[in-house]
Amino acid sequence: MRRLGAGLAVVVAALVLAGMAYAGATTYSGPRAWSAGSSAGSSYSSGWKYNYFFKQGSGYDTTVTFIDNVTYSWHATVRNTSATTYTYWFVSNVKRGHCRAHTGSFWGSCAVVN
Amino acid sequence: MTTRTTRTTRTRWAVAAAIGLLAAGALAEVVIADPFRGADPLSFEADLGTGEVTRVADIAAADGLPARGVFVQMTGGGQLCLWDAPSAWSRQRGGGCNPADDPLGGSSISASLAYEGGPGVDGVTDARLVGLVADDVHGVEILMTDDSRRRVRLSRLETGSLRLRAFGYRIRASDLKRGITPVAVLALDSRGVEVARQATGLGG
Repeated sequence: MRRLGAGLAVVVAALVLAGMAYAGATTYSGPRAWSAGSSAGSSYSSGWKYNYFFKQGSGYDTTVTFIDNVTYSWHATVRNTSATTYTYWFVSNVKRGHCRAHTGSFWGSCAVVN
Repeated sequence: MTTRTTRTTRTRWAVAAAIGLLAAGALAEVVIADPFRGADPLSFEADLGTGEVTRVADIAAADGLPARGVFVQMTGGGQLCLWDAPSAWSRQRGGGCNPADDPLGGSSISASLAYEGGPGVDGVTDARLVGLVADDVHGVEILMTDDSRRRVRLSRLETGSLRLRAFGYRIRASDLKRGITPVAVLALDSRGVEVARQATGLGG
């Protein structure tokens, strides 16, 4: 019985992980408190297309961008104070999402989606 | 007797202090703790598939770079999104979204900077500013790192009960070459007096 339970748990965990991988959304930082100058980055992948900075509200100055793993240049960078800062970069290059807060004392999270 | 009374008093104080700490903790949980529970990127993306996308201003072709547009989108989920994009149907867009009932985020201006390359100015190949301002804003200027200003043209935006003005501006290649970049977007009244500003800039 115990083995059956453990087996079921493994199956459920695998299904959950598979679902997350299929969905392709990764919150790479937060929700957390942000201070001015703080930043975060996702893992590298050729699949990322969208990069978001979700904030508790408007008025917090943030940047989202993609950084390629060859020149480490920034691509499709967007900076604003909207409640959600958003960018899209559809290329096959390996890249990571990067987000930065220019002002502090707010709650937010950064996510990439493929 | 005195010793017992002292002990009882101490115990009561300890209990009161513990209750106080618990209450403070509970209050902190409500008042100070994370008011933001995160957002689901997939739901957000699905919402961006709803609502009409309207062109509200133009960014002219210049310096060998193609024309682009400034677009607004009122989503089914109640967001007003501002986009810098090649066309209304392009997914290659960048910008931001605010609640539709507060499209400027409590200010008179909501601007968005987009650029390719960098983060250092020498690596930037294209940089653009798009934005929305309140209807009573008469002018918008971009303050540059050398203290010069660039005046931008405003277009009227009327959709439903929304009355705003929109703009799009491409930073001149000659400015980028000289390391001159935007540091703020200024909203001006009819007398040219600054009524709001939003900081901006390349890199970190």
